[in-house]
Amino acid sequence: MSRSDPTAEGEPPPLATALRRRLRLLASGVAVGAPAGPVAVGVLIATGRRLPDAVAAGFALGTLALGFGVLGWSGSILAGPGIAAARDHLAVGSDWTETGSRRAMTRIVGVGVGVMTTTSLLETLA
Amino acid sequence: MVSKRFLLKRLLLLVPVLFGVATLVFAILHLAPGDPARIIVGQRASAEQLQQVRTELGLNDPLWVQYVRFLTDAATFQFGDSYQIAKGTPVREVVSETLPVTIELALFGQFFGLALGIPLGVVSAVKQDTLTDHATRIGALTGISVPIYWSGPLLILFLSTYLGWFPASGRIGATIFLDNSWQLLGTELPLTGLVTVDTLLLGNVDAFLSAVTHLLLPSLVIGIYSMALISRMMRSSMLEVIRQDYIRTARAKGQGARITVLKHGFRNALIPVVTVVGIQFGSLLGGAVLTETVFGIAGIGTMLVEAIGATDYPLVQGTVLTFALLFTLVNLGVDVTYSYLDPRIEQ
Repeated sequence: MSRSDPTAEGEPPPLATALRRRLRLLASGVAVGAPAGPVAVGVLIATGRRLPDAVAAGFALGTLALGFGVLGWSGSILAGPGIAAARDHLAVGSDWTETGSRRAMTRIVGVGVGVMTTTSLLETLA
Repeated sequence: MVSKRFLLKRLLLLVPVLFGVATLVFAILHLAPGDPARIIVGQRASAEQLQQVRTELGLNDPLWVQYVRFLTDAATFQFGDSYQIAKGTPVREVVSETLPVTIELALFGQFFGLALGIPLGVVSAVKQDTLTDHATRIGALTGISVPIYWSGPLLILFLSTYLGWFPASGRIGATIFLDNSWQLLGTELPLTGLVTVDTLLLGNVDAFLSAVTHLLLPSLVIGIYSMALISRMMRSSMLEVIRQDYIRTARAKGQGARITVLKHGFRNALIPVVTVVGIQFGSLLGGAVLTETVFGIAGIGTMLVEAIGATDYPLVQGTVLTFALLFTLVNLGVDVTYSYLDPRIEQ
């Protein structure tokens, strides 16, 4: 007996698959953020900052991305219908979707987590 | 009736929203220039004194330690004491004293926005492409385009200085003094901090009238912007609804135009407007910050601006998180109203 395709239209994917997709999305952000942290610290040192200040600023940049991502993600869910209604009723030409916005925000969260992790490690090692 | 599952889902969403705001505030404050310890000890303090204050405030700890500590405190809404603006006073106390001022202003502004915006939107839709419609649309566009820091001083100049109709600043007449509490059946109760409500609770009609007169102008300034967006939304939503088959059917069955629009069209046209009102409450709070500054009202907005200038971390963090909590709770209320008006949204 063949199992039905879980990704078929109208049928939501199983929890494990959905979770894996989200984790992959998050990991792709972390993969960018992790090396970006030390690079940002290096750039800050090159611009004349001391190491502790540069690491702190790098960490703060990471939290900025994390905060923006989390707020954007939850904001997309909370205000999604409102934004869609406003877009439709004010006849604004835009292809914004709640799903697309959530995916983008998850990636940004990943970048923030990556930067925060590597800068914290740098701070501990320094 | 709104389902419990829907409510629970919305309540759970408050957690990431507040976490996101807390994280953003932490990031921005720590990226901004300025050392709170230096502001507290002053420019003439020695390096030892500076280091001592930094250690006391925990500013010498690694940033990730400060971040975790801040999140833990924020979870219980404990932000400690104000560094500078209300030196030594717990942030929670300062916020609870100034918040009602801003809420009152925002609520009055919202009231003006709804009271003017909805009827204007309906009239504009019903009288589409007439002079009334064009005038309303131009008025709405002007309202959206004019910033509060420009419309506020202009209205003060015209309505207060030239015509003398309204007071230019403050919350209540300078000669009126209110008690700190009111009595109900012999029990002494604290006041709300909303001056219009408090004057009524105290039974002081003159003070109430003075409070309303003082609030009218700043509320109007906030309300104009709100009204503009609401009337635009209401117009387009109403236009869509009055073209529906059920409206035509009601008219064909002999129902009067006014009753058809008000009874059948109005409620359905209101649905998208309700969602915008929720989103807009955030800009109303932001507008209140500017309006308070223009009209010299000592609300939470004025205090926030001062706290940012003084790098008063606990006060800024506490205030912004309170704003975020308010905004999300209003949106929760809007979602509940929305799902009541259109039960399909819960699906």
